[in-house]
Amino acid sequence: MLRAENLSKRYFRKTGGANHFFAVKDVSLELRPGEVTLLSGRSGSGKTTLLNMLSGLLTPTDGKVWLDDIDLYRMDDASLSKLRGECIGVIPQGRSAIETLTVLENILLPQQLCGEKGDAKAAEGWLDALGIAHLMNARPAELSGGELRRMAIARALASSAPVILADEPTGDLDDENTALVLDLLHDAAKKAGRVVLLVSHDGEAARIADSLYRMDGGAIKVEREAL
Amino acid sequence: MIKSGLPIRNLLRRPGRTVALVLLTAFLALSVFGGSIVVSSLRSGLDSLQARLGADIIVLPSSARSKVNFQELLLQGTAGAFYMSADALDRVREVEGVELAAPQTFLASLKADCCAVKVQVIGIDPEADFTVQPWIAQSTSRELGDMDVAVGCKVNANAGESLKLYGQHCHVVAKLAETGTGLDTAVYCNMDTMRTLLIAAEAKGVTHKISSGDGDVISAVYVKAADGYDIDGVMAKINAHVRKASAVRARSLFTGAADSLAGISRTVSILAGAVWALALVILLIAFMMMTRERRREFAVLRLLGASRKGLSSLILIETALCGLAGGVLGVGLAAMLVFPFTTLIETKLGLPYLTPGMGTILLLAIATVLATVLIGALASAFSAHRLSRTDPGTTLREGA
Amino acid sequence: MTKTKIPAIIILVLSLLLAIGSQTFMGACVHDDGSLGACHWAARVLSGIGGLLAMLAILALLVKKERAGLYLAMVPTALLGVFTPGTLINLCGMATMRCRALMKPAAMILLAFALAAALIGWLMSRRNHD
Repeated sequence: MLRAENLSKRYFRKTGGANHFFAVKDVSLELRPGEVTLLSGRSGSGKTTLLNMLSGLLTPTDGKVWLDDIDLYRMDDASLSKLRGECIGVIPQGRSAIETLTVLENILLPQQLCGEKGDAKAAEGWLDALGIAHLMNARPAELSGGELRRMAIARALASSAPVILADEPTGDLDDENTALVLDLLHDAAKKAGRVVLLVSHDGEAARIADSLYRMDGGAIKVEREAL
Repeated sequence: MIKSGLPIRNLLRRPGRTVALVLLTAFLALSVFGGSIVVSSLRSGLDSLQARLGADIIVLPSSARSKVNFQELLLQGTAGAFYMSADALDRVREVEGVELAAPQTFLASLKADCCAVKVQVIGIDPEADFTVQPWIAQSTSRELGDMDVAVGCKVNANAGESLKLYGQHCHVVAKLAETGTGLDTAVYCNMDTMRTLLIAAEAKGVTHKISSGDGDVISAVYVKAADGYDIDGVMAKINAHVRKASAVRARSLFTGAADSLAGISRTVSILAGAVWALALVILLIAFMMMTRERRREFAVLRLLGASRKGLSSLILIETALCGLAGGVLGVGLAAMLVFPFTTLIETKLGLPYLTPGMGTILLLAIATVLATVLIGALASAFSAHRLSRTDPGTTLREGA
Repeated sequence: MTKTKIPAIIILVLSLLLAIGSQTFMGACVHDDGSLGACHWAARVLSGIGGLLAMLAILALLVKKERAGLYLAMVPTALLGVFTPGTLINLCGMATMRCRALMKPAAMILLAFALAAALIGWLMSRRNHD
């Protein structure tokens, strides 16, 4: 389980009225195994900042993040990085490929950073499930935006991390691939028992979500909670 | 980070950047190793010359030209001939404070069979000599008999062969070890052989007349001062006692060479220092530019579980590998420029030049490669630190 | 430009240096009396070998199908050049003479690089089925 307790993130402004603002304000959230949670909201509402804090990439100004009984931000950088590599699969917004590696090598990278060789067969299976197996040995520069997005999703799914945090996973995708990706993320939660958090504007994403949250001005509001 | 194989893959798949880094570090290594070998060889040559002379004082004919000719012979192997009466030897031996005095007689050959140039023929008295004999003894146990010669390492004749000088057949009994001095192109014989050659030279129209006319002639007397005597004092006494001869400190003959060596060493150091300073600046700029270019890549690596230390080590490993490759390449190129052209460098510099032993060369090579790796690491350290502190969230959102 | 042409370009530069250099800046000894030593003929042969290598390199640049064979032909040509000064044709006796101090080592280095480039070019061409 991934749990946020009174998370806040304050930034200092260089210009404008007040000298600081809260990108995330006093957010508490519980993400359970086997459940898909959807987080929506306008641009600038703090969704990505919250996701970065949940993944251990951004130290909160206040509050804590717990992965089971581990307080993420009490760990040193090396331990936290290792934990993130093993336990948290992040699908970020935008381009997230290592340009010097092939698609397959990109998929295997999280496992290799943890000191393992990586399961190439399983990785190929995920590429096939996402319809980009034929691009296995291609370089990211040769892929379209949609293909890169599917590569990032395959990387998170192939890593066997118990938590998947996806920021706009269906951006750049057509309807067919959007449905495919959402089904795979749904299966990751229901069949594999993983924690899945989706940050998305996509209306389609609501159909697979167990819980719905909305962010506005850094604060979070429950719209629907899982039973 | 090493286990992931990422550093090597990054280097191989960005060939342009990798080659540029390797070439820059190769140039560094080439300048340092090449410069070090040249300076080290000059120092060895000078030490060799000092050891080879072996004497405290050299007595030469009093004409100013003699000293110049003698220096040219020692440093550049330029064959020459100058003479004084053999009486000078007896008079030198009479001087208080002279422990040993050994004569040498010089003769420049015509173009011998062996060689398209003149060689320096040097006659010694094997019984009195204390400078050349030990050197000859390293190569042969046989004494220099009549018409026997020992040749320097650069003379084109080997032990057991015959050498014709002024139409006279001489037997080569030894080929001497390299000294890096002008003596490597000399041919040594005893005084009887020298007498025969002088007569043969006269018959061919080469004269060696000196003002005293008839009688034996010598070209130099090598003097060892006795213990407890001031060398300058002995030298002064010789100058006072021996007519038509001039005594000089052996050391003074290569003061000029020592000064030149110091000058060359200083120039090489300044040039190498300038190259390294420039290379460091270029590397710093290159790494700073790279920092901008690779921010996104490092943000992704942080996302996937790389620690800050891991990211720093990625850059340092990449740089170290480039430095190692460049260092080895540079040392190899420098070796190709310096070692095959040893004789040419010696001739052009006009100074004693003796390549150091394999142990010294290997040490210099290893030190050069290590220094190249270190300077690369130093140049990249700041960039490595900055990149490891990349904020992945902000960076990945840029250009999303 | 295909990668298999790169060794040919390198060999062209090296062979031109050998051909021209053997008659100029890295040439044979100049004797005081104007006579010609054996090294004069060694320099001539080195120039010829440099010229031959240059022609083979130009052909390798122009012709794709026979490129591997042309690279292979450069190997014994370069080897002939390696054995010319001092072995097949004598040089002057003294080590300080220009032919021994400059011409021979410079020729050896140029020919060694040309030989290595020819072998690499041959392997690359074979792999590309040129």
